[in-house]
Amino acid sequence: MFCAFLYNVVRVTHPRGQYLPRACILQNRRFIGKTIQPGTIEDRCMANNRRHFIIATVLIVICTVLVYWVLDTVLLKPAAAVVEAGPIDNLFDQHIWLIAFLFALVVVFMCYALIVFRARGDEGDGEYVHGNGLLEILWTVVPCFVVVYFAWISTTMLIDLTRPNPDEFVISAEGRQWSWLFTYPETGAVTPDLVLPVDTPIRMDLTSDDVLHSFWVPEFRVKQDTVPGMVTHVRFNPNVIGEYTLRCAELCGTNHGGMLATVRVVSAEEFKLWQSEQLAQRQE
Amino acid sequence: MSLFTLGIARGLLGQVLGMVIGMLLTCAVRILLGWEAWAAEPAWTVGSVCSIIGFLLGVGSLDDWLKWTKGIPTPFHHGPPVDKPAWTRYFSVDYNHKVIGVQYTVWGILLLMVGGTVAMIFRTELARSGLQFLGLDLYNSFIGMHGMIMIFAILLGVGGMANYLVPLMIGAEDMAFPRLNALGFWFNVPGSVLLLLSLFIGGWDAGWTAYPPLSARGPIGYQLFFLGVFAIGLSSIVGSLNLLVTILRMRPPGMSLFRMPIFCWAVFATSLLQLTATQLIGTSFLMVSVQRALGMGFFDPRGILGEVSPMVGGGDPVLFQHLFWFYSHPAVYIFVLPGLGIVSELLPVFSRKPLFGYKWIALSSMAIAILGFIVWGHHMFVSGYNDILRIPFMYATLLVAIPTGVKFFSWLGTMWGGKIHFDTPMLFVLGAISVFLIGGLSGPILSTVPTDFPLHDSYFVVGHFHATMFGGFVFPFFAALYYWFPKVTGRMYNETLGKIHFYIMTPAFWVQTLGQMGVGVMGMRRRIADYDPTLGAGQIEAWHMAVTIAGFAIAFGVMLMLWNFFQNAEVGAAAGDNPWRSRSPEWQIPSPIPEHSFPAPVRVVGEPYDYGLADSGYVTTASPGDD
Ligand code: HEM
Ligand SMILES: [Cu+2]
Ligand SMILES: [Cu+2]
Repeated sequence: MFCAFLYNVVRVTHPRGQYLPRACILQNRRFIGKTIQPGTIEDRCMANNRRHFIIATVLIVICTVLVYWVLDTVLLKPAAAVVEAGPIDNLFDQHIWLIAFLFALVVVFMCYALIVFRARGDEGDGEYVHGNGLLEILWTVVPCFVVVYFAWISTTMLIDLTRPNPDEFVISAEGRQWSWLFTYPETGAVTPDLVLPVDTPIRMDLTSDDVLHSFWVPEFRVKQDTVPGMVTHVRFNPNVIGEYTLRCAELCGTNHGGMLATVRVVSAEEFKLWQSEQLAQRQE
Repeated sequence: MSLFTLGIARGLLGQVLGMVIGMLLTCAVRILLGWEAWAAEPAWTVGSVCSIIGFLLGVGSLDDWLKWTKGIPTPFHHGPPVDKPAWTRYFSVDYNHKVIGVQYTVWGILLLMVGGTVAMIFRTELARSGLQFLGLDLYNSFIGMHGMIMIFAILLGVGGMANYLVPLMIGAEDMAFPRLNALGFWFNVPGSVLLLLSLFIGGWDAGWTAYPPLSARGPIGYQLFFLGVFAIGLSSIVGSLNLLVTILRMRPPGMSLFRMPIFCWAVFATSLLQLTATQLIGTSFLMVSVQRALGMGFFDPRGILGEVSPMVGGGDPVLFQHLFWFYSHPAVYIFVLPGLGIVSELLPVFSRKPLFGYKWIALSSMAIAILGFIVWGHHMFVSGYNDILRIPFMYATLLVAIPTGVKFFSWLGTMWGGKIHFDTPMLFVLGAISVFLIGGLSGPILSTVPTDFPLHDSYFVVGHFHATMFGGFVFPFFAALYYWFPKVTGRMYNETLGKIHFYIMTPAFWVQTLGQMGVGVMGMRRRIADYDPTLGAGQIEAWHMAVTIAGFAIAFGVMLMLWNFFQNAEVGAAAGDNPWRSRSPEWQIPSPIPEHSFPAPVRVVGEPYDYGLADSGYVTTASPGDD
């Protein structure tokens, strides 16, 4: 449908039969240093090119918005349940805009070229153009800025996400084929389920008893492998009370897919209650 | 004529004998040491090593060199074997690069079919949540098997295109080292046999990446897998060396590096990567193999294998990942650079226009190759290595997008203002661009660490690399098959069937790859046989069903292509010497190409892609006296 639309636009603005070289922008070497007289072939050529590019630009804008809207609608991220999900999802969103724009840029120009510059049954050759240094430099340098922008904001975000917090509540987790064990250093309780107090910065100290595993609760976004022989850390601050599933994300053998644990984010009072229960159980 | 006139039959017999001899040797040593004679793991390991050598001896790929050691002369024989039917040369050691190119390609397609079949099996399992008919261990073996077989297939496809085309494109008589060229191909056969065999002695359940400690504890199948990969790696190394020397030393006078057909640049960059990076995957797998066989705890932190041997411990599992990805990241460019070269090679022909920004495209391949060496850490953002290291790896990875972008924009520049023809090869080139675009665009979101947290090891990554590999290898490879089929066989394929193949496969692939990415965003992990049906607000099953159906559609398309080729290889319409009106040297000579490709030394008289410049040519292939 989109192609049909494009084709109509092109048809209207590009009447056949009238002599107009179909593309010359890329060979503007021909025009460099020349004063172009109005009404000459060069002038018509430039005007025609301008028209091609104006149409393409409009289409790119429309297409970008369209692609963004589609991706935003069909991509179903899990609910967010930690503070960190805010900036991460925001960066995700910026990436989707970038993807939508670049996709539109390439696809519009490609489809446009395929329709306008298709061989209409003639065996002739296209324009004899070898390239354009200026354009090449442009599309090398401009993306550099985009890259640095994304790398820069990601770097600052990463530093924020991993910054130690003096008030953080520490829980140890051990992955083993194919279950999890959580140790609460404050009480010494050891449990197969993870219970977390809401609105508290948490640090998980992760390790493994056998092979690699990975700590991942999709609603928490962050992920960290557990490695035998070393302790790795992951930090997050749960802000939505509820029940989630911890899913091992690193292939760890037969029952990797079933290596799950329940994660409960509870209110501060409930957490205190739970801890004292655990303590009581241990003392029995 | 007995079966054993075919080199490959002798080779396989040699492989079996080698395996048996290796096993007996192991038993003998163990008896001498006073141990129990039979131990499965060492026996299979030594047996596999010997089986590779057995194959090479059997097939006869080492014959000439063995004769040299004894001072026996080995005159070079051109043409089909004297006392056997001509077709047998394709099943035996032959030194003609055109034969070797076909051998590579056909073996690659066979593996593509095996790997594809495996994928269809577990894709059927994944169509619904829950476990239907595959066991968990078998599922794990299958995903690893699918991945590694496909990698073999891609390397073979790349080898096929490079070996067949590079000498022709630079007007050379053959590759620089024909014997090494044959050896490079024949390594692949015992390698793939070992890989397939591993499935029957326990399989291996850690995926194609085979991370220890898991891979250090699993079934014996791992040993065969490691050694199979080792054999393929040797093939890559000798093959790439040969290609580099050929490109650097065998060009005719006047063909400066910037006047080569652009595909040769792609092969040059790929070969540089292969020659220098492949050792690392060989080493990393060999180290796991030795850890298993001899108890050296390279990747074992604290003596997990304590019962087996007291010597273990003191190793580091993360070290393996560094070694592995130091090859396996460059490997992904090994897979795609030649394919992107095919895109750049075919676009000017079907757009009837010079390649836009030749030097930029050529150098972007080199830039990708070089940058490819410093980004391996992006596979390890959550592996537990030093937090600070993530930042330089993030910058380096994002930088790769720039030379990749240069290629895309230059392709658009090539099409803009052309007279575009839509024959099947061109359709596949366009499909490649669209699919590689999806793959490339899904890269940066994986490269910025915060967004990689949720996406790493999710199905999103599966979608990402299928798009890059299909866009960068499969689509261009199919384009190349359709494009050079008339040159290889002298016959034309059926254009309608080719177009049907394209119009089935391309939308199906979009659905497949976007579907995979979609379920990944929902929170589905990769490498699991059974998924949570409540993910994505309960939509996930529908998505998986769509992906499975798309997968079958792709398989159907591929069958259609093979049938098309099979049908027309002998009886199709005569294609003529240059059906695509290409300027490249291989199209200036008869189809199929005679034993000695060029009647006289090739002379360069112009630029490779000057479509649109009247009365110009690239090379002349006639002898100087003729004109
Ligand atoms: C624009 C360029 C690209 C960027 C920025 C990029 C980035 C990445 C990143 C960051 C990952 C790691 C994802 C993770 O595991 O969390 C990844 C995975 C992967 N990429 Fe790319 N990529 C690019 C192009 C390619 C290309 C051209 C290929 C070639 C086929 C490729 C093949 C792969 C493969 C095979 C994996 C997954 C390996 C595995 O874990 O099994 N990528 N890519
Ligand atoms: Cu796991
Ligand atoms: Cu990579």
